Amino acid sequence: MIKVVNGGIEILVEDWPGRLGYMGLGMAAAGAMDNLALQLGNKIVGNELTDAGLEIAGGYCEFEFVEDGVIALTGADMSPTLNDEPMPMWEAVAVKVGDHLKLSHFGEKGFRSYLIPAGGVDVEKYLGSRSTCIFGNYGGFEGRKLAKDDIVKVFKKDITGIAGKKLNPKYMPDYENDWELRTIPGPNSAPDYVTEEGMNYLFSHSFKISHNANRAAYRLEEVDGSMFWAREDGGKGGSHPSNIVDHGYNIRGGLNITGNTPSVLVADGPTLGGFCCVAQVINADLWKIGQGIPARDKMHFKFTTLEEATEARKEREQMFEAADLIV
Amino acid sequence: MEYKLLAHMPGLVARVVCEVGDKVEAGQELAVINCMKTEMSCQTEKAGVVKEILVAEWDEMDVGTPMIILDAE
Repeated sequence: MIKVVNGGIEILVEDWPGRLGYMGLGMAAAGAMDNLALQLGNKIVGNELTDAGLEIAGGYCEFEFVEDGVIALTGADMSPTLNDEPMPMWEAVAVKVGDHLKLSHFGEKGFRSYLIPAGGVDVEKYLGSRSTCIFGNYGGFEGRKLAKDDIVKVFKKDITGIAGKKLNPKYMPDYENDWELRTIPGPNSAPDYVTEEGMNYLFSHSFKISHNANRAAYRLEEVDGSMFWAREDGGKGGSHPSNIVDHGYNIRGGLNITGNTPSVLVADGPTLGGFCCVAQVINADLWKIGQGIPARDKMHFKFTTLEEATEARKEREQMFEAADLIV
Repeated sequence: MEYKLLAHMPGLVARVVCEVGDKVEAGQELAVINCMKTEMSCQTEKAGVVKEILVAEWDEMDVGTPMIILDAE
């Protein structure tokens, strides 16, 4: 069990792939914002890839361990300390009753860290997932972010021989400040909704992430509507060319444009609405969105085909099976 | 002794809730930052008197941006 001494900005129980199958009822999949860090953490401590961990956004938090165990910290480096000594990341570390883990705040690169206990976080599954949907207030730990004095249970697991296991450095994800997101155009793109010039701009410009970036959407800087849109208005969908008759959104990873403001729809995002979705970030790159630092980092979109997206997904799945992934 | 309240998150200043000359206590909220569509309280670690306010509503903050200066006790 892990006690929260200081809840910091936002700590949530998340798993992967999240709560699938309920989009038609308006329920987003939720799930880890950086699914790669979560899953690599699970591999390091010998968990199943689908086990739940703690997603720590921003940092400024502290934990006390209420029982002995093994943990791994992955994701953004927030200068973690265990009993005031620097703690290695991407490595299984043994913890004892009474140990204190502190995280400072996010540094130069990356915004979310993951605390993965061997055994996985023990909260009841809701509709097939342990993930928190923070904007729906369901799933995870009482449907909310963790707060001071909360105690999170951990599933029992034989931890013999796990401490000291590390991620092979050759598989370490690259953290950036201008995140390259491989992206497929559509469904609402050129020529019907967006001009060729608009799509070229979309695939050649680096967009600054707004301070309004959270688990629903990562809002980006505006596009110039006068060159971007192919239509003068939204027809039956509304007065602005970004309007469209309400339709299901392609989440997670849909690039939705509301007015002239693009937003990448993510974990807890809206499942439908009346604005164009001009592109789709591929599944293999969704993790990068969650590491984008609000009001600081940028994102750019790299034109990608469906075949390339499928191949990237297969490569990711093969990486998790690699014999030398954990050393 | 001078104490600077620094922004702990990037984002926009939602509001400043003190004025120059105010006597404030340790832990008191002096300003609020808007980030991740959430309001985040900026609290002073020290008691003192507000000497200077360096930010205004809608100013963009990065982590560590000085916001308010106190004459700390």
